[in-house]
Amino acid sequence: MRILLAEDDPLLGDGLRSGLRQLGFRVDWVRDGNAAERELRAEPYAAAVLDLGLPMKGGLDVLAATRAQSIKTPVLILTARDAIADRVRGLDLGADDYVVKPVDLHELAARLRALVRRAHGKPEERLQLGAVTLDPAARAVLRDGVDVVLSQREFDLLHVLMLNQGRVLSREQLQQRLYKWGEEVDSNAVDVHIHHLRRKLGPELIETVRGVGYVLARGTSAQ
Amino acid sequence: MRLPRSLHWRLVVLVLGVMSAVWLAAAAVIWIDAQHELDELLDGHLAQAAALLVAQQSISENEDHETIDAPSLHPYAPKVVFQVWHDDVLALRSANAPAQPMSHRRRGFATLAIDGIAWRVFAARGAESDTQVYVGEQIASRAGILWAVMRSALWPMAVALPLLAVLGWWAVRQGLLPMRRLSQIIARREAHVLAPVAVADAPTEMQPLITSLNGLFERIAALLESERRFTADAAHELRTPIAAIRVQAQTALITVDDAPRRHALQATLAGCDRAAHLVEQLLLLSRLEQTAAPPAAAVDLSTLTRQVVAELANTALEQKQSLELAAPESCLVVGDDALLAVLVRNLVDNAIRYSSREARIRIAVAKEDGRVRLNVEDSGPGMSEEQLARLGERFFRVLGSDQAGSGLGWSIVRRIGAATGAAIEVRRSDALGGLRVVVTWS
Repeated sequence: MRILLAEDDPLLGDGLRSGLRQLGFRVDWVRDGNAAERELRAEPYAAAVLDLGLPMKGGLDVLAATRAQSIKTPVLILTARDAIADRVRGLDLGADDYVVKPVDLHELAARLRALVRRAHGKPEERLQLGAVTLDPAARAVLRDGVDVVLSQREFDLLHVLMLNQGRVLSREQLQQRLYKWGEEVDSNAVDVHIHHLRRKLGPELIETVRGVGYVLARGTSAQ
Repeated sequence: MRLPRSLHWRLVVLVLGVMSAVWLAAAAVIWIDAQHELDELLDGHLAQAAALLVAQQSISENEDHETIDAPSLHPYAPKVVFQVWHDDVLALRSANAPAQPMSHRRRGFATLAIDGIAWRVFAARGAESDTQVYVGEQIASRAGILWAVMRSALWPMAVALPLLAVLGWWAVRQGLLPMRRLSQIIARREAHVLAPVAVADAPTEMQPLITSLNGLFERIAALLESERRFTADAAHELRTPIAAIRVQAQTALITVDDAPRRHALQATLAGCDRAAHLVEQLLLLSRLEQTAAPPAAAVDLSTLTRQVVAELANTALEQKQSLELAAPESCLVVGDDALLAVLVRNLVDNAIRYSSREARIRIAVAKEDGRVRLNVEDSGPGMSEEQLARLGERFFRVLGSDQAGSGLGWSIVRRIGAATGAAIEVRRSDALGGLRVVVTWS
């Protein structure tokens, strides 16, 4: 899952980036409000962690500006300000969650996963499609109750497809959701991962829509 | 007399009091004037009556020296008397007239008492001086006439007085309406509402009150805002280091690979150092706020600055910054040497930290007009007016400076400056373009 982290404190930002990376997130880290707004506008992040005391442009201003442009990326505010008025203002401006520092890394990850689930209208903890079950928290995939070993990238690809059931995603869209900035991407990398997923989970799971992209098989989702 | 405390009653009492006083004075003037006119009129009548009697006596001589009592023809008659004397013999008199001459005077008016009753008497003599006529009138009857005349003039005014009181009370109440409206507006206000008060059609006299009230609201709002900012800044500065330590430690725990794990652990330690530094700064600040006068001795600021700059020179060199110190003569300052060192270190350290690589930093200690002056300027980014204004607020830090400061350095510098009697001035450096700090000891 690719997320945006907007935090100006070098030590905390560094810690959050490495910590969340360990927990399976791909983290793009920006240190000021202008960059945060720019990235939110440009990239389809699964979620964003926003500090309020950002230089150049405060977190609340970033939030208001992006919501005004109908960017619906789920936003979790991570701040030292714990006054009720600040929380209310943050949530009213369009934040989806409000967490006061210091925060437990696992809790932050769980909250981010919940935000992503809710944003896709899937309140259940695990995603299910036919015989395939995906557990985002445990980062595990089961087929007929049996563990399937997937690479991190394959897991992320399946996760994105399952969150977007019924929606055809183009190769570019998938790439944007899977890779951080500056990561080297082969032009056919997505196709290779799709191929591996079909091999491991059954050829009928992912359908190719010629000239458009990929979608999870409708037949299986009906079961 | 003490006036009532209510403005309403105060106005009512004053207005009605003044009105009653003027009314009484007017009534008195009318009374005196009427009395005077009445006296003149009645005196005229007395004189005329006397003249008539004198004229009549010279025509019909009463030869038999008998006193004739003239009949009383009008209910008012008993209050009027007359006597006609002929050769010192009472020839004619009204029924109620006494037997003695009524006045000691032969001619003219006299006011006198006969048998305990006050009379006004006019005396006249005939042409041959043998006839003496007295005409008199009771003073009390004159008072009666005056009262009767005045009564009709005064009673409407007397009735008007209570009516005026009621109407005055109402009018004052109407006049004070904007004031009551203002007090209602303020009374109904919620404690957190600090917007300016607006009273529709507020009279000019109330504008100063409303203006000062709104000024007060503004000051309270500013105070609350600065309190809120302090809380937010303090929360940020105190929680962020702890959050960083926690996250880094947790990351180290869940990281298996050696290199990132070492990195996270090192970051944890850096976070601890930062938190420790913050605690040190807080403790120093609280000590500075507690002690009224730190121990003072004469300290050579030049030597002290040289030592501090030498300690920090390495950091500046690492960033390829040029550090210049001009401290040619010994400059004595009275203060605690440890605290003065903290002040100088904070200023120089700030200049080094917040200026970019290859920046120029100039430090000078000099004596000007007998005052010792420390000058620290840099070619760094400087500060905006707004930032300059907030400098010295505890925990205030310029965001985006990428430097892990505590936001307490300036508060500490200010406190030490105040404790050693120094004036601190911060502005743009004309020479280098960055920030310039001048500390002057008087």
